[in-house]
Amino acid sequence: MTRTPLRPLARILDARQRGENPDAIERENLRLRHEAMRDSARRRAEGRLVVLAGAFVLAFGVVGLRMGLMAAAEPQEPRAELAGNPIVGQRADITDRNGRVLATNLSTYALYAQPPKMIDRVGAAKKLAAIFPDLDEERLVKDFTGTRKFLWIKKKVSPEQRQAVHDIGDPGLLFGPREMRLYPNGRLAAHVLGGASFGREGVNSAEVIGVAGIEKAMDDTLRDPARGGAPLVLSIDMTVQSTMREVLYGGMRLMNAKGAAGILMDIDSGEILSMVSLPDFDPNDRPRPLTKGDAGDSPLFNRAVQGVYELGSVFKIFAVAQAMELGLVGPNTLVDADAPMKWGRFTLREFQNKNYGPLLSVSDVITKSSNVGTAKLALQIGPERQKAFLESFGVFDPTPVELVEASGAKPLLPPKWSEIVAITASYGHGFSASPLHLAAAYSSLLNGGTKVEPTLLKRDGAPSGDRLVSERVSRASAKMLRQVVLEGTASFGRVPGYEVGGKTGTANKPIAGRKGYYKDKNINTFASVFPADDPAYVLIVMLDEASDNSGQEPRRTAGWTAVPVAAEVIRRTAPLLGLRPKIEPVAASGVTLASE
Amino acid sequence: MSYLEHNVKRVPTGLVKILYLNWPLFLLICAVAAVGFGMLFSVAGGSLQPWAEPQMKRFALGAVLMFATAMVPIWFWRNMAGVIYGIALALLVAVEVAGSMGMGAQRWIDLGFIRLQPSELMKIALVMMLAAYYDWLDIGKVSRPFWVLLPLILIAVPTFLVLKQPDLGTAILLIAGGGIVMFLAGVSWWYFIVVLGAGVGAVSAVLSSRGTDWQLLKDYQYRRIDTFLDPASDPLGAGYHITQSKIALGSGGWTGRGFMQGTQSRLNFLPEKQTDFIFTTLAEEFGFVGGVSLLALYVGIVAFCVFSAITNRDRFGSLLTLGVGATFFLFFSVNMAMVMGLAPVVGVPLPLVSYGGSAMLVLMIAFGLAQSAHVHRPRGR
Repeated sequence: MTRTPLRPLARILDARQRGENPDAIERENLRLRHEAMRDSARRRAEGRLVVLAGAFVLAFGVVGLRMGLMAAAEPQEPRAELAGNPIVGQRADITDRNGRVLATNLSTYALYAQPPKMIDRVGAAKKLAAIFPDLDEERLVKDFTGTRKFLWIKKKVSPEQRQAVHDIGDPGLLFGPREMRLYPNGRLAAHVLGGASFGREGVNSAEVIGVAGIEKAMDDTLRDPARGGAPLVLSIDMTVQSTMREVLYGGMRLMNAKGAAGILMDIDSGEILSMVSLPDFDPNDRPRPLTKGDAGDSPLFNRAVQGVYELGSVFKIFAVAQAMELGLVGPNTLVDADAPMKWGRFTLREFQNKNYGPLLSVSDVITKSSNVGTAKLALQIGPERQKAFLESFGVFDPTPVELVEASGAKPLLPPKWSEIVAITASYGHGFSASPLHLAAAYSSLLNGGTKVEPTLLKRDGAPSGDRLVSERVSRASAKMLRQVVLEGTASFGRVPGYEVGGKTGTANKPIAGRKGYYKDKNINTFASVFPADDPAYVLIVMLDEASDNSGQEPRRTAGWTAVPVAAEVIRRTAPLLGLRPKIEPVAASGVTLASE
Repeated sequence: MSYLEHNVKRVPTGLVKILYLNWPLFLLICAVAAVGFGMLFSVAGGSLQPWAEPQMKRFALGAVLMFATAMVPIWFWRNMAGVIYGIALALLVAVEVAGSMGMGAQRWIDLGFIRLQPSELMKIALVMMLAAYYDWLDIGKVSRPFWVLLPLILIAVPTFLVLKQPDLGTAILLIAGGGIVMFLAGVSWWYFIVVLGAGVGAVSAVLSSRGTDWQLLKDYQYRRIDTFLDPASDPLGAGYHITQSKIALGSGGWTGRGFMQGTQSRLNFLPEKQTDFIFTTLAEEFGFVGGVSLLALYVGIVAFCVFSAITNRDRFGSLLTLGVGATFFLFFSVNMAMVMGLAPVVGVPLPLVSYGGSAMLVLMIAFGLAQSAHVHRPRGR
């Protein structure tokens, strides 16, 4: 761009000659230059404006087009399928081994209030208090008229209640959808399932978290989205569970017991087909834990898993089995069973101070439940070997079952495994274990001698555990247990058609906080196996402080209390388990064969 | 004597100025505001309270301010541009400091009669400042790096402060509005091409880095992007606004359900129905026809601003008018795009229609500036 000078000398001289003011020339030139600059800026600006206008028009066009497309679209409600991800229940169902539902989810609503949006606060509080009698009207009025912007009123409301709140018609009363855990069978498997509760809560949803039982132990699995909502299949059989609960409940009432526990286990796989602890509760409405007194008296307490007791003579079979396994004795070997037996400053007596001695076969030690005979065997085995043997059956460690309570139920052991400990341990005293420990140990002993781990989850086939005793010893043990029922302390355990074997255990309850034992408070246990000739199931029945008052004197032994209850359980559940009764062949008398 | 003052003699003075106002522009503004009153009346369920009446009062106040602004000669505003920009910046800093001093996060300063949002004021102060800058700057220097850097700083400082609030919508408007003024002032194409290219590159880098070792954003930030791209994937969460607003627009159809007959918006399905999402009410009640009519009114306002700017030979007045028009355009196009699911939900009101004081008053003052530029434009020759 060539610039003309503002004061061209020639023109100025010319102007001066003509007597004009040369400044006018400068001004004129300045104006021309300004206009030239302005015009070039304008040309550029107009080009830019065209571009911008184009962009504006494009934007208008896009917005208008979009508006037209949306106006032309059929109005439709949003549907979850549109997003391609179906709403899956946040928490997987729990079913029994046959797929029948034990725990599921139910859509419900939580009621909350936003007082700033409310029209008639006092009136709404009054009407709410009428719908929910457990709400305090004054409290509601205070909450609604105060400074609160948000408050929960009810965590779950029924459809009827929801409709009633709708009918109040206050815009400040709002509902948030909830998934609620529902246990359709109520108390049926209360201690197995445990229960669930709300975790973090939002208006539109709330976390459901397990608080006890398998719900808590398997919480991560149940909430794992990767499983795609597949139900958790338990080993429990609902019909067996129902029968067991019914019989145990009746037995507990009949035997005046304050509590009862029952476990039915598959002997090969360790699957728990039924687990009952009484008294129980409704997991839909879990009671609060006791704030004082013994936690063991709460219905929440799972006697079958959490209750560690000195279970008594049921453990005698392990001393005998080990002695046979070590080759020290055979079933018919005679042992010294002269009672009472002196050991240092201790005196060992039989039940009711009897004497089965001087000599008793090993088989009869079990049949008659001789403390002295078992003690002699324990001394032959020695404390170390005995401790290692019992430990291999898992009775010294918490059970690995899928219940959150199991890990806390650690068996109580004496600090040092001396000879006197070995003697008492041989007949089930001096150390405590839970009924579940007993069930797993009996299964391991009687299934042919391989270890099983108890489980509440359905297993495919039986896992092969470590061998603990030989098959020969396993079979001999089962045979001895059968003898107990046929001619020993458990004669009430006979069930027509089914060969039941088992061992009774009657143990005095220790006095809490003091040394010594109650004379009239027992833990009665019957550990049974059926069919004894080909063991398939182990059943443990335990009654807490049972006493049969039908005779002149209260009878508090297991043989009078736990055994008949267990027999009734077997009589009813064996057909459900698909076991065929063995009918004794009856001589065909009075029957005429019709033949020509 | 500058070029501008040289021409003042032919510019109207005194109350006669009123006759020289851009009256069609004012009538269009009134028409849009009236649509807003109607919508607020409808959203409240056929009641002037709680929104329509205060909005009318604010509009009346805004109109007075607009006329007052228009009466002041445009060169006064040019000379004051730096001062106004400084005040707006100081207020932004004040809000930031007040927020960090534990008085709670707040975007506004309470002046007693009105709560002033400095970020709203900044929108117009920035346009004024840039227009004055390019009026002052020698045209030959416009594209030199140093003289490009200065306006960039002028834009970046308030944008940073606004982003800290955090107010993404206003930040976008500041950047885009400032960029448009720079573009119109004639800054070289290359700067814009480089910036746009860098922006596209950054976005594609962010998106392609997802799931790799060098992932640039947090997972939840990616999920927000997902929700924007497909709101139906989270219909009850972050996509809720958009889904509901689309339903409302769809249910309006071509001619709408009729005044006060909208269901989505009146039955509380829609959050922010009186502010950012008020357009859905209009679209539901008056359908496509109503929406396009409002769009036409907006187009008219922008068009009048552009024509006024083209016929204005004063560089400051021209740039300022265009800047005001562009800011206005950005306001409603971002809002409409957001409501229709074309852009993420960033929180930009629908200008002159959405309920809200600061935005309305600032817009009216901005139009007052455009009117002042129109009244005091150089005439003759």
